[in-house]
Amino acid sequence: MIRRLLVGLLALGVTVEGRAQSLLIPMDDAQSNHLKAYGVMFQALKSGLRGEWWLNYRGGSFLLPDEPSVRRNAALGGVAFEAVDGAAVDAARKEIASSNMDAVPLERAPRVAIYAPPNSPPWDDAVTLALQYAGIDYTRIWDDDVLGGDLAKFDWIHLFHEDFTGQQNKLYLGFRDAPWFVEARDRDQAMAKRFQVNGIPALKKAVALRLHDFVERGGFLFAMCGATETLDLALAAQGVDIAGPFADGTPMDPDADAKLDWSRTFAFTGAHLEPNSGVNAMSDIDGHQVNVPSRRQPLGSLALFAFSAKFDPVASMLVQDHRSVVPDFYGVTTSFNTARVKPGVTVLANEEGAPWVKYIHGDLGRGSWTYLGGHDPEDPQHNVGAAPTDLALHPNSPGYRLILNNVLFPAAKKKPLKT
Amino acid sequence: MRRAGRWCVATLVSVAVGVTPRAVVAQAQPAPSTALQRAINEEEAGKWREAAASYRVALHDGLLIPAMLGLERALSQLGEETTLLSIVDSLLLTHPRDPMIRTVQLRTLRAVGRDDALRAAFEQWAALSPRDVAPWREYARTLLGDGRTAAADSLLKRAELALGRSRELLLESAQLRAALGQWESAATAWRDGLVDQPWMDQAAVFSLGAAPIAQRDPVRRVLGGAPVDRGARAVLARLELQWNAPRDGWRALESLRADDSTLVLWRSFADEVERSGAWLVARDAWAAVDRAKPDPTAALRAATAALTGGDAAGALTILGTAMRRDSLRLSASALPVRVRALAQLARPAEAEALIAGAGLPDSPDRRTLMRTVAWGWIRAGDVERARATIAGGGSAADEDAVSAWLALVDGDLTAARRGLRESASTGARDAVDALALLSRTRATRSTALGRTFLALAQGDTLRAARSFALAVDSLTDGAGVTLATSARLALAAHDDALAESAWARLVRDFPSAPEAVEAELTVARRLVVRGDRVGAAARYEHLILTWPESALLPQARRELETLRRSAP
Repeated sequence: MIRRLLVGLLALGVTVEGRAQSLLIPMDDAQSNHLKAYGVMFQALKSGLRGEWWLNYRGGSFLLPDEPSVRRNAALGGVAFEAVDGAAVDAARKEIASSNMDAVPLERAPRVAIYAPPNSPPWDDAVTLALQYAGIDYTRIWDDDVLGGDLAKFDWIHLFHEDFTGQQNKLYLGFRDAPWFVEARDRDQAMAKRFQVNGIPALKKAVALRLHDFVERGGFLFAMCGATETLDLALAAQGVDIAGPFADGTPMDPDADAKLDWSRTFAFTGAHLEPNSGVNAMSDIDGHQVNVPSRRQPLGSLALFAFSAKFDPVASMLVQDHRSVVPDFYGVTTSFNTARVKPGVTVLANEEGAPWVKYIHGDLGRGSWTYLGGHDPEDPQHNVGAAPTDLALHPNSPGYRLILNNVLFPAAKKKPLKT
Repeated sequence: MRRAGRWCVATLVSVAVGVTPRAVVAQAQPAPSTALQRAINEEEAGKWREAAASYRVALHDGLLIPAMLGLERALSQLGEETTLLSIVDSLLLTHPRDPMIRTVQLRTLRAVGRDDALRAAFEQWAALSPRDVAPWREYARTLLGDGRTAAADSLLKRAELALGRSRELLLESAQLRAALGQWESAATAWRDGLVDQPWMDQAAVFSLGAAPIAQRDPVRRVLGGAPVDRGARAVLARLELQWNAPRDGWRALESLRADDSTLVLWRSFADEVERSGAWLVARDAWAAVDRAKPDPTAALRAATAALTGGDAAGALTILGTAMRRDSLRLSASALPVRVRALAQLARPAEAEALIAGAGLPDSPDRRTLMRTVAWGWIRAGDVERARATIAGGGSAADEDAVSAWLALVDGDLTAARRGLRESASTGARDAVDALALLSRTRATRSTALGRTFLALAQGDTLRAARSFALAVDSLTDGAGVTLATSARLALAAHDDALAESAWARLVRDFPSAPEAVEAELTVARRLVVRGDRVGAAARYEHLILTWPESALLPQARRELETLRRSAP
């Protein structure tokens, strides 16, 4: 323990006499730009510096060496920071040691990939927006990279709106002639042909399997919106036709529900597929069913759970925020029906009294995954064709912080469990 | 009185048809309209279920159209479209070709998402009414509403073959083309469709207004092309206004034959551009109105617009022509405009002569005109005559704006401040600008600054810009605002080098001046425009790091973000 502390202090450029200074990036209400603060930490790690994430300390603050490059990046991004001397750091550490807080070393910038189509679909992608705004580097990957490439070169893969059942989110119902829809369908069909699989549903199921393997081998997967539900459905439905006739020319297997194998999935079990291809829902996993007017549930607020920072640092990292209650937001999959969530999955946020949860996390093999329902934390009703959210107008967004927590999470040095 | 009149009419009608009052009472029971009225009242009260029941009664009473439409509204509020469909089906047994019932059927099938049934219903209707355009139109609108443009396209082509004509579907075709991004053919269809349905002009503007910049020229060619069509030109003019090109809007209208309808169009356009501050376009439109049908009011508005837009000579020409035609009606109202124009053109002697010729008695109005003349003398560079004019006009108060300007050009900054403060409170732009500069220096005298303001008053922008830059050395303070003013003027005079040297000096030598941040931001923006992304980013970063407390910081950060995001 003492050795680890010394190493940490030396890494921060702090001598035992406490003369050198550090920069504390507070993440409570004193912070002027919470989202860019993650970018400052990421860029510092990328440049070879090491830092710490002080869980539950002033909203989940960051500690970095007082380097000109850090000061410069913080100033450029409008990120508030405080120069602290060794004595102040020591005092803070004492407080951390005696409270539900912990200091997690952050050692290297994670290698991030975003699974996104090569064209720009007519909706925004909250993670891409967050990463771009915060200044976090990422690589864009698509089906050919997943099927033909090496995912092991990434620590973190993000999935967003993609429908891994191959039904293009059933947007056929309202947009079948829209140029972007036709282009996406043609593109996916060409990709299926290239990889010699029978249609888009088969292509997406193959991609889902690769993503499953990526996590199993130690990768970290973060999914939002429709990718959460459809990824699990695609994994459960390997070898079962669950796609409507508009997607593959054949009706769904009438016994599909019974044939689903939930042992392969990340988060869900026992869900029932939506049998009507004319109803814009995939299954009963989503609690809100926003695109089915007769079933749609109103939005409430999601409450973040508090975890023990010392004993459950991973869950704690994922819920670091300056607000414990965040306004909910719709997506093609908005929330997760509690009855369909596997036992053993960690619930990170729910809506009090509602039969659904919003934000969940779990492990698979050597890796882990996180699902966050909804599309855009700052645009609760985001519609197809709506302009992307301008994050410069939401620099303190508590919802977007949840996304960025996930980006930094793989940067944390793995510690042995204390239990 | 009106109520009494109504009773009278009712009595007369009763008598005329030989109905006794008792008979009237007897017939006041369920008359055909009662159920309908009740239904409407219930609908207005949000009692959808009761309204639906009453509409069904009204339907029984034979009030097909209002009852059916009401039933559609009520049942869709209740989410009971299936019930509506069964009612529609039973009505179609007796009214198979009724366009209203058929339209309700299509709308309802669309609402419940039964695409196949929707298509079958359309096919059935089209087969029953082979010469009727209604089934095609309604189904096309349904498809367009759903964004199913390819299907709508196929349908309209089929309609043309089936009906042997396409004219009645031109507007649907126009909407389709616009939705497909085929702007040229959309414009063609709108142009053709407006011939029969000119009241659809608003819809045309709405539809074509979304054309992206690169696609606007084809729209312009179609709507503005030969033969000249007033409706199409009117749409084009409004599109140009929407696209922030008022001058092009006027070009679309000016060549129209000047008949009464065109004059109405021109007046409306002139009003609109005047409201938007496109003064010189307003000048031309009002002048055209006046030329086509001599109108002193139009001439005066044309001249005022010209003067406000900076075309003093144009204002004089317009008024000169109008006054030769109708001097009596215009002379009094035109005098202030002519005097202002002459003063603006540095022709104060003529302005003085005009006032003298008008024979005005000494009055506040006359004194105002004389002050304008004095301003004309300043612009002409004759400061002494300006001073004499004010003295002669009996308005030599220190607080007078012209007196303040005279003090300023004399270098008496204290007196200038006092006078300008008074006139600035009335919102006079020049006074506000001058005061902004004077308030930043504690100097009481500066002949260098006086010279610069004289150059400015004379309209010699470039000389003023140079003088402001030189005046910095003679001032102990206020250098920032002086250099910033110099840069702004140099830019207006198209001397970019002078402007940039002023900004550079401001940032380098006076970084604590408030204008330094603005200068840095301006330089960064200019570098972006020039394509120097690296240089621009460096400027933005310098600004952010050097002036972390500046109010311009969020803007600089935002622009830096945008610059980085748009990196090729």
